[in-house]
Amino acid sequence: MTIDTFILTALRSPSGTSISGGEIAQKLGVTRAAVWARVRELRALGYEIEASPHEGYRLLNSPDVLLGDDLMSRLKGDPLIGRDIRVFQETTSTSDVIERLAADGVREGVVVFAESQSRGRGRLGREWISPAGKGIWFSVLLRPNLRPIEATQLTVAAATAVARAIESETRLMPQVKWPNDILLGSRKVAGILTELSAEVDRVKHLILGVGLDANFEEADFPERVRATATSLRMELGHPVDRAGLAVAMLTELERDYARIRSGRFDAIATEWEALCTTLGRQVSVRVGDRVLHGRAESLASDGALLLRTQHGHLERITGGDVSLKK
Amino acid sequence: MDLKDIKAIIDLMKKNSISEFELERQDFKIRLRRNANGVAQMGGAEEGGYIALPGPAVASPAVPVEPIVVSSPSTDLEIKSPMVGTFYRAPSPEAGNYVEIGSEVTPETVVCIIEAMKVMNEIKAEVKGVVTQVIADSAKPVEFGQPLFKIRPTA
Repeated sequence: MTIDTFILTALRSPSGTSISGGEIAQKLGVTRAAVWARVRELRALGYEIEASPHEGYRLLNSPDVLLGDDLMSRLKGDPLIGRDIRVFQETTSTSDVIERLAADGVREGVVVFAESQSRGRGRLGREWISPAGKGIWFSVLLRPNLRPIEATQLTVAAATAVARAIESETRLMPQVKWPNDILLGSRKVAGILTELSAEVDRVKHLILGVGLDANFEEADFPERVRATATSLRMELGHPVDRAGLAVAMLTELERDYARIRSGRFDAIATEWEALCTTLGRQVSVRVGDRVLHGRAESLASDGALLLRTQHGHLERITGGDVSLKK
Repeated sequence: MDLKDIKAIIDLMKKNSISEFELERQDFKIRLRRNANGVAQMGGAEEGGYIALPGPAVASPAVPVEPIVVSSPSTDLEIKSPMVGTFYRAPSPEAGNYVEIGSEVTPETVVCIIEAMKVMNEIKAEVKGVVTQVIADSAKPVEFGQPLFKIRPTA
């Protein structure tokens, strides 16, 4: 834990109260002057920290920036996901950075955020729009003890986790579309991209990429997606606290990853089914150049979508584009 | 003037067979020299075991049979820090360095990170070449304009 993470943690708990510089210094084993120097640095970053000679420091306001130390200070307990958080001003894609860390053998749980991405990507190499400071884009490195076929579990878990985080932070009611879209109304607000590196029977590592259109305004979307995309800001009519949402998403991901590791994916699947707009609907699924039509019946234990085709047999869908029929 | 400009000058020199180029401005001076057969003069150890000498181009004492090695480290380009911050050679303490001496880079290759205001800024090579020297120390503060790497441009 860095000094700044410690100071921000101290300032945040319990909220609204002051903490003395001496107390922080003692716990950290540094001088009060060193604490003061860090407080000044945090102020320069936009943190409004009140310093009173008798009461000590009090956090009044946080800036709308994503800072690794701050996000880490807000995660409860000793989480795996977010044990290390790095924020990039700009990168090609947060998943590119994680891929590099994965190749170097870095342990799971590291998270990379970017304030903008020059080559943000969605599924099938589609572009993911990432205007600076408007969204929340991050990728997580995981090394789950799963078979490659079970990796879909993590896409499903991430979708439910992101939906829960949006709901708890904004009171909006998101829905998920199999496998990786988060919708508000019928418009997409967030997406999950899972990239897998696997051997025949074992996942080597998995990169979970999340993109949330937090504070986009309509003009931030290219015209071609305006009818099908939305943002939290557009739905709420005011900007959202990106750091708060980021923390909520990491917290929910931690919870679901713990459930998957202890073999309780079924609990996630149940939640997912409740959020899912796909199940019970007539859908068409494009897999490569093949299109299947049918009713989305249920979710298999590995996260696959079970489709009852118009010919009456059950197809397992593990990838492809799902469109809902009106 | 940045690496891109220098590279453009080198390209122009090659194209028009110019062997020497000098430009002087208020507090900036650059001199580029190519040798007669069109290959840019380079620093660094050659097969003959000569070690590159710092400073202006120096011809080694003439030794019969042995090739004459001309050393001119000034043809290596410097990647300079575009900001004040902390220099990191790897994206995480657990990860390997972006580049090492001898690494081939393209203009898009990320060579290091400068952390400023707690945010990581990827620094790109902006030139095609080979890393010949790592000048700055990882995890240490760097100033604006401070040289970080030397790159020997390649065509």
